Amino acid sequence: MKIDSLPTVIGLESHVQLSTKSKLFCACPTRGKEPNSAVCPVCLGHPGSKPVLNKTAVEMAAKVALALNCKVNPSFFFSRKTYFYPDMSKNFQITQYEIPLSENGFVELDSGKKIRIRRLHLEEDPAALIHEKGFTLVDYNRAGIPLIEIVTEPDLASAREAREFLNKLWTILGFLDVFSPGEDVLKADCNLSISGHAKVEIKNVSGFQAVERALLAEEKRQRELLSQGEEIRQQTRGFDDKSGRTVLQREKETEADYGYIFEPDLVSSTIDSKWMDAIRSTLPELPFQKARRFVREFGLSDYDAKVLCSNKKLSDLFESVSKRVSPGLGSRFLSRELLGILNFNRLEIDSVALSEKELGDLLELLESGKVSEKNAKQAAIEYVLSGVAPKVFLEKSGLLIDLGSVDTEKIVESVLLANPQAVSELKQGNQKSLNFLLGQMMRQAKGKANPRELQGFIEKKIKKK
Amino acid sequence: MKIMDEALVAKEKFGLFNAINPNPKAFSKGRLAGIGISVKDNICVEGLPSTAGSAILSNYVPVFNATVIEKVLAEGGLIVGKTSQDEFGFGTFSVNIGKGLSMPKNPVDPNRSCGGSSGGAAGFTRFASAPHTALAESTGGSIACPAAFCGVAGFTPTYGRVSRFGLIDYANSLDKIGSMGKTVSKASLLLEILMGFDPRDSTSVNQPVPEISNAKPVLKGKTIGIVEEFFGDGIDSKVSKSCENALDAAKSAGAKVVSVSLSKNARFGVAAYYLIAMAETSTNLAKYCGMRFGQSLPLQGHFDDFFSRVRSEFFGAEAKRRVILGTFSRMSGYRDAYYLKALKARSALMKEYFEVFKHCDVVCHPTMPFVAPRFSDIKKLSPMQNYAADLCTVPANLGGFPHLSIPVKEVEKLPVGLMLTGKHFDELSVAEIGKGIESVVNP
Repeated sequence: MKIDSLPTVIGLESHVQLSTKSKLFCACPTRGKEPNSAVCPVCLGHPGSKPVLNKTAVEMAAKVALALNCKVNPSFFFSRKTYFYPDMSKNFQITQYEIPLSENGFVELDSGKKIRIRRLHLEEDPAALIHEKGFTLVDYNRAGIPLIEIVTEPDLASAREAREFLNKLWTILGFLDVFSPGEDVLKADCNLSISGHAKVEIKNVSGFQAVERALLAEEKRQRELLSQGEEIRQQTRGFDDKSGRTVLQREKETEADYGYIFEPDLVSSTIDSKWMDAIRSTLPELPFQKARRFVREFGLSDYDAKVLCSNKKLSDLFESVSKRVSPGLGSRFLSRELLGILNFNRLEIDSVALSEKELGDLLELLESGKVSEKNAKQAAIEYVLSGVAPKVFLEKSGLLIDLGSVDTEKIVESVLLANPQAVSELKQGNQKSLNFLLGQMMRQAKGKANPRELQGFIEKKIKKK
Repeated sequence: MKIMDEALVAKEKFGLFNAINPNPKAFSKGRLAGIGISVKDNICVEGLPSTAGSAILSNYVPVFNATVIEKVLAEGGLIVGKTSQDEFGFGTFSVNIGKGLSMPKNPVDPNRSCGGSSGGAAGFTRFASAPHTALAESTGGSIACPAAFCGVAGFTPTYGRVSRFGLIDYANSLDKIGSMGKTVSKASLLLEILMGFDPRDSTSVNQPVPEISNAKPVLKGKTIGIVEEFFGDGIDSKVSKSCENALDAAKSAGAKVVSVSLSKNARFGVAAYYLIAMAETSTNLAKYCGMRFGQSLPLQGHFDDFFSRVRSEFFGAEAKRRVILGTFSRMSGYRDAYYLKALKARSALMKEYFEVFKHCDVVCHPTMPFVAPRFSDIKKLSPMQNYAADLCTVPANLGGFPHLSIPVKEVEKLPVGLMLTGKHFDELSVAEIGKGIESVVNP
């Protein structure tokens, strides 16, 4: 069989920190400022200390599981995964092995393809290692922060699908309010093979873009090797962001052996039907449900609704501004202009401060014709990049149209007089001439005119003649 | 204070302590006021070195008190010091001692072992004449065994009765903190204070605490099961005889005595126990590697090499043996055959007890198969012979059943212990029958 026709097989293990107030097994806060300030005997693994399970972490993880269509196990337990590494003071990680919190879910891609979730479990984050000046420092603030690990079946057929899956996953997580979207990064272990050949694991890749690039690079590497008649070796690799290549970390003949035992300091946990119902009742409207509602309530196209619901914050902004301006304008400005500005500047919407009120103010000005489309966009750019309120920016820069200050009628008259050719073409119904004339008029008004108003004048004048 | 003077002598002469409390505080209020409490060295006392008998922890000073220490202090107990023990509880004779730490000698005969692993605790309970009770701990028999060898009462509660918060783990699913005293009453008073739910230990149970300190001696109307397997082969006949005599006396005093069988426990108990205990301990000991816990050595090479050097240098031979065996039993390919099978066996063995408890209040047998051995004889034992000595104490520990060892008539001036095991959470019957037998025998 030809190498090119062999499908690529990808599976992902994603790790996401939950935004609980306290850690998974102790009362330490999950956000410590100074290194090693949010620590206690439990998360430092002191002899004699014992873990106590944080119920909120279980609730959050169960919420995610439900949103990913998983079956939540009514009874589950924790295990010790043992290996020696300087980021774990106990040299074992409390995680889940035999019976995880939940199993058997799926995420649906735009194409309708379902990516199956094999399992979703809870575990503790190890400490953070900081490599500095030839030393390795350990910050235990991170030790014990609850993580969920989401493992897919090998259902992804390309790097592109992997990225789409992660985007979808991230969107759902954002809607569930279980993590800090601006602060947390998604980390994934990516497994890739060319069907029928050995599997390679790319460990600990941070962010969607990096995942996509790492998978593309690894797919290419494996296909090249195969086409040269070489065999793929089972390996663990890392991703070097700078070179865009995957690099060998270690060869593995067998699966790592973690010698799991049941965590004997914890008893098995039970989610009874009452607790389960309570968790289910906290599930918010999910992205696909919200998109459907936007279509129904605001008359948006499926596409626009989906774009707006690709992010919790964006969908909330839209809903808020739609109370003040027409939903069509709100949708158009947010999904085209605002997202355009963010993309152009490589910014994530969740890491930029955007207030519903200030964007609403801007859109109101735009709708009422007090600012031109172009200047509104400029104000949005300033807002995104430097946080200046759009209305303030427009006022200070003198870009607000005071409909009395410019003699619009006079400008129209003079431009029409100066361009008889265009006028006569316009009379024959040429749209291009209208745009040309409007452009001339806007230039004379230095942008402080409302094109719709200008158009009205032009129509009036031409009819008169 | 007399108890502190005695502790100093006991440390010097018999090696019963690893550390003596330099600032003992006597309280006048509380149920333990005026009573010295010695603490097994694997129980954390803030500010006092807590080594668990291991050289790898010889410089470890806990930053918090174990829950049981808080309870002792709240009741006015005086913390005497930290009693010597087998390294992390790994032993039956308190001879597996970390470098530089004390090895307890039996006050009855210093050429003999105190038993283990709570050897120092039992030895000092025997030695002290001032009011004293010991905080001890049992994983597979580490309270009953030394209590028997030293001729004192050793009370181990149901698993989960007493918080393990602050106990340096040996095998978490088996570890139980308990007490020792010269009499059942004394041991019961301390144990009653220790028992109760603790939110800091997820395996601690929320059950009403029985008033065992007020337990009356009761034999009439009680049914005592004699475990036939623990009176036959492998048990010193003089020890058996001493226990049988005690049970005859109990019968004369009105107890119903019946013969029962725990054949599965006798056959598989020790194997299941050691598999589970070693698997768990091999994970517990992983933290002692010189990174955050354990001794330090010059940093050289890969961290794996560094960890190995620290562990090679500071763990004793028995600790290494248990880490290696325990790790082996949980590795893929062996996990099903050893670790998981042992867990299944544990459930099956508990069922055998449940059956017997349908018609018995307690079951009885010699605590140890022989009297306290000489150190010179212990040296001749293979590891397997060593582990086999736990034959009688292991089953109750594996099942988490409350049990009590009480002194019965000595054999050639050496103490003999009779062990009573009760139903889960029925410490009261164990105390009542224990006191009953205590009242009819004369050690």
